[in-house]
Amino acid sequence: MTYCFYICACLCLIIFQTTIIPHISLFNNFYDLLIPFIIYLGLFRPTREGILFILVLGFLMDNLSGGPFGLYVTTYLWLFIVVKLLIKYLHARNNILLLFIVAAGVLMENIIFIVSIFMSGPDSQFLTITIRTVIFQILWAVCTGFFFLIFFNHIHTKLEKWFNKLIRDLGI
Amino acid sequence: MFSKKMVMIVGVIALIVVNIIILSVNSSRYSSYGSFSYEYGRTAIFFIAPFQKPVTQFVQFLKKIWGHYFFLVSVIKENDNLKKTISHTIDKNNKYREIEISNFRLRNLLNFRKTITSQVIVAEVIGQDPSPWFKTIIIDKGKSDGVEKGLPVVVPEGIAGQVIDVSCNYSKVLLIIDRNSAVDALVQRTRDRGLIKGQSDGRCLSKYVLRKHDIKVGDTVVSSGLDGVFPKGLRVGYVSKIVKPDSGIFQEVTVTPYIDFEKLEEVLVVLDPPKHDFLSE
Repeated sequence: MTYCFYICACLCLIIFQTTIIPHISLFNNFYDLLIPFIIYLGLFRPTREGILFILVLGFLMDNLSGGPFGLYVTTYLWLFIVVKLLIKYLHARNNILLLFIVAAGVLMENIIFIVSIFMSGPDSQFLTITIRTVIFQILWAVCTGFFFLIFFNHIHTKLEKWFNKLIRDLGI
Repeated sequence: MFSKKMVMIVGVIALIVVNIIILSVNSSRYSSYGSFSYEYGRTAIFFIAPFQKPVTQFVQFLKKIWGHYFFLVSVIKENDNLKKTISHTIDKNNKYREIEISNFRLRNLLNFRKTITSQVIVAEVIGQDPSPWFKTIIIDKGKSDGVEKGLPVVVPEGIAGQVIDVSCNYSKVLLIIDRNSAVDALVQRTRDRGLIKGQSDGRCLSKYVLRKHDIKVGDTVVSSGLDGVFPKGLRVGYVSKIVKPDSGIFQEVTVTPYIDFEKLEEVLVVLDPPKHDFLSE
């Protein structure tokens, strides 16, 4: 059930991100929608459950993107590791953390991407575009990231409860 | 002398006769003003009409209430149905408009297709790159349609990109505005060559253009065909900015593509691009 939820949620997010968002000018600089999902996995789900899924997810995104292959796998993996370390050593899972963790994740992804682009040689417009893109993405993340986390957690908990009840009712 | 029964029969007959006579007399003088029925009829109207008027008004009032309020239930239903019909009509109209625009676009593509001597296939753009840092699109044609890695992708406005990844039914296209893209091109007017590279701002930079070349803003840049990927003579963009640094042998020429990549919906994949046979000796 859990994996079923992961697959459905990610599929929806990827499709939304690659087909709908590019057509809405308001979301021109919207962040990667899978970041809140990976942070959710890192914050609320066991490591073993999330790690394999994150690798698959990174592989999928690498296939869809025009960036160097492995960029998304690297980003998602490190993001997951950082979130896990954060809750292990800081024991922080409060609302203030939730409010800014997606923005931090977006910043982290952008840093990895920028470094990879920088290695291949930036152009003259790179700095201006980079600053604008990163600022907009972080602002979007601060405004909406928290709600994504709450939404994923809420839906997952509800589905799990419903599934457990179904199993009990069926007597499996 | 006469029996009681006899008197009764004669009385009834007499009454019928008198009645007939009165009726016939009255009917022949119906319009005369001085008639009995008229006089008494008018009196009756005088007394009854005042009562008739408010009663009629009351009935009309009730009818109005029925018509304007209670009967509105059916009007609401009718209104709902009309709204639905309007909604359907608007939807249909929108669809027709969309078909019309699509038709225009495809006709344009078809006309352009006729001008290309190579074999081409029309593909629809179904997705874009998930990251704003890279510029790729996903098209709905793949290996099963004859698409191969490295094939050029064009539109009537000019060169769109190059196929970089192919699956069975879908392909990934690297757009010319991506940093990793490079197209060998020349300025149409002066025939000066340069290498078109994508930039972060959605425009391109023509690299390795010598300072001595007389290039002007507005000049059209076309593909040279020397890269072995894109057919010769296809439009890439126009020169929008020229920077001649104080030192160095090259000038920086910014090229703005004719294509609006945000609105790219259909593309043509050139299936048999010009190939150069290099001697390997």
